[in-house]
Amino acid sequence: MMLKAFVPRSSLRSISRPLGGSTSAFRHTPSSFFLIESSRLRRGYATETEEKDLIVIGGGVAGYVAAIKAGQEGLKVACIEKRGSLGGTCLNVGCIPSKSLLNNSHLYHQILHDTKNRGIDVKEVSLNLQQMMKAKDTSVQGLTKGVEFLFKKNNVEYFKGTGAFVDPHTVAVNLVGGGETSVRGKNIFIATGSEATPFPGLEIDEKKVITSTGAIALEQVPKKMVVIGGGIIGLEMASVWSRLGSEVTIVEFLGQIGGPGMDADISKNIQKTLQKQGLKFKLNTKVTNGDASGEGVKISTEAAKGGKEEVLDADVVLVAIGRRPYTAGLGLENIGIETDTRGRLVIDSEYRTGPHAHIRVIGDCTFGPMLAHKAEEEAVAAVEFLTKSYGHVNYNAIPSVMYTHPEVAWVGQNEAELKAQGVKYKVGTFPFTANSRAKTNLDTDGLVKFLADAETDRILGVHIVGPNAGEMIAEGTLALEYGASTEDVGRTSHAHPTLAEAFKEAAMATYGKAIHY
Amino acid sequence: MQATRRLLQHRQPMIKFLGKRTPPANVDHSPHAHPASPTHSLPDSFATYRQKAQQHGPLTQSTNFHSGAIGGHSGHSLGSIRPGKGEVFDRSDLPARFRRTPWTQAEIEAIESGGASMFA
Repeated sequence: MMLKAFVPRSSLRSISRPLGGSTSAFRHTPSSFFLIESSRLRRGYATETEEKDLIVIGGGVAGYVAAIKAGQEGLKVACIEKRGSLGGTCLNVGCIPSKSLLNNSHLYHQILHDTKNRGIDVKEVSLNLQQMMKAKDTSVQGLTKGVEFLFKKNNVEYFKGTGAFVDPHTVAVNLVGGGETSVRGKNIFIATGSEATPFPGLEIDEKKVITSTGAIALEQVPKKMVVIGGGIIGLEMASVWSRLGSEVTIVEFLGQIGGPGMDADISKNIQKTLQKQGLKFKLNTKVTNGDASGEGVKISTEAAKGGKEEVLDADVVLVAIGRRPYTAGLGLENIGIETDTRGRLVIDSEYRTGPHAHIRVIGDCTFGPMLAHKAEEEAVAAVEFLTKSYGHVNYNAIPSVMYTHPEVAWVGQNEAELKAQGVKYKVGTFPFTANSRAKTNLDTDGLVKFLADAETDRILGVHIVGPNAGEMIAEGTLALEYGASTEDVGRTSHAHPTLAEAFKEAAMATYGKAIHY
Repeated sequence: MQATRRLLQHRQPMIKFLGKRTPPANVDHSPHAHPASPTHSLPDSFATYRQKAQQHGPLTQSTNFHSGAIGGHSGHSLGSIRPGKGEVFDRSDLPARFRRTPWTQAEIEAIESGGASMFA
């Protein structure tokens, strides 16, 4: 027993080597069996800097979806998020809280103004803004905690902290709770998202001069509100505060509202409806200056082509002129990844960055529309490039939705784009005034519009303004994705009485005639 | 079957059933401009990256891999991996990574002492 302890174990084992070897004519090599390089002595104990298969910087929609998908595919994955809760802009200060406010403010507005003719007498309706905000916060918390649960379920390691590149494979994490650590990854996804573009000359304080983040957290209803930018975010927030009692004016530089992509007919239609609801529009108008030094804010405007000047007074000004990629503090200078003129990280068709093919970029901080569902698609595709070496996102079939009332939704191309491309197309429309369900709901504003190839009847774009447009566009997106013709949709049975029948009839109106109009 | 045929005589839907999605047999992984890229072009960095990038040898290498070293030949062209007649391979001929990891003195002591040496 004692003797064994003095005999090196390896020599014992060398004795038990297969005998055949010693008698054979094996090629002689100096036996390195006893002279082992030190690297071979290292055993695979887990260390602090365990190398992950994938590190995702950012726990927003792009980041958390990528992390969960990678976890499901069996990759060792870590996700770094500095906000303290997952879900990014969308869940915390964007899509989700704004939908809560839009839905509840719509209910309030409807109870105030649209009950008598429905046979409901309501007395003493009052707004409890604090409770409305609490309802919003509860929804948000439920969803962000849900994502955290999904991380645990799918073995995603979650770092609460700010990630910054040290070198192309190492990310230092400045932890929210204090301290610092670092992670190494074979692959790294940048999914740091975007932030509201500030308006030059107006300092954002989120009280008087606000972005969408402040607009979902105002403590009282402002008497007068000016919204700079008539895009989707601006119009949604304008709707919320207008319904709650604000006098809202929207200033838009361009000649139409709704932002890029919205069809001109649809834009005109929704503008009329929103005007009926009390929103004021100043189109083709440029904001030249803002002064927030007094009690309120003074906004100087002039006609976009020069000329008529006007000063607008407001208690609160919402800056909603767009969003820009957020990559500050990421240490991009340490790894030499380039951005384009608008701050977007430059990638190729497989989301890889130029200098480092193992670093991919998804979501708002790179090309394409800044939409949560686009980010989600990219997250799945980017992970599939790692695991299956093939992924795909169809950028021609990404729907856009504006959650005003009525909602606006579209997918594919609009008339202006088709005209610019010289494509021959046909148009079919169907108004909700001719739809039975919309009639019974007393909610008949809007229409469905199809654009299809003149020759093949293939659907090129679907544009809807009307009740439930955001849900209805899913059918249009599916049709577009599958290369359907309007006749395919028109010959598909749609339940009666539903709003979706308007969709079918608009398709029928494109290749033939609608029955009910 | 007959019913389907009769139906299709009148109208063929444009929707095609795509079936189970399978990755294409040959995927071209060379960088292409992102479909949503505003310029529809890639900056030089992508090309220069591939110039210097290494993955099982330089990425930009032409198809002629025969550089003289053993790694430059396909395994197939080297013939059978079996030993010749009268020849036997020994484990010590293998590259280091295929051999048994030897015990360190500390590990030997730990086992022999029932773990006590780790706390000594």
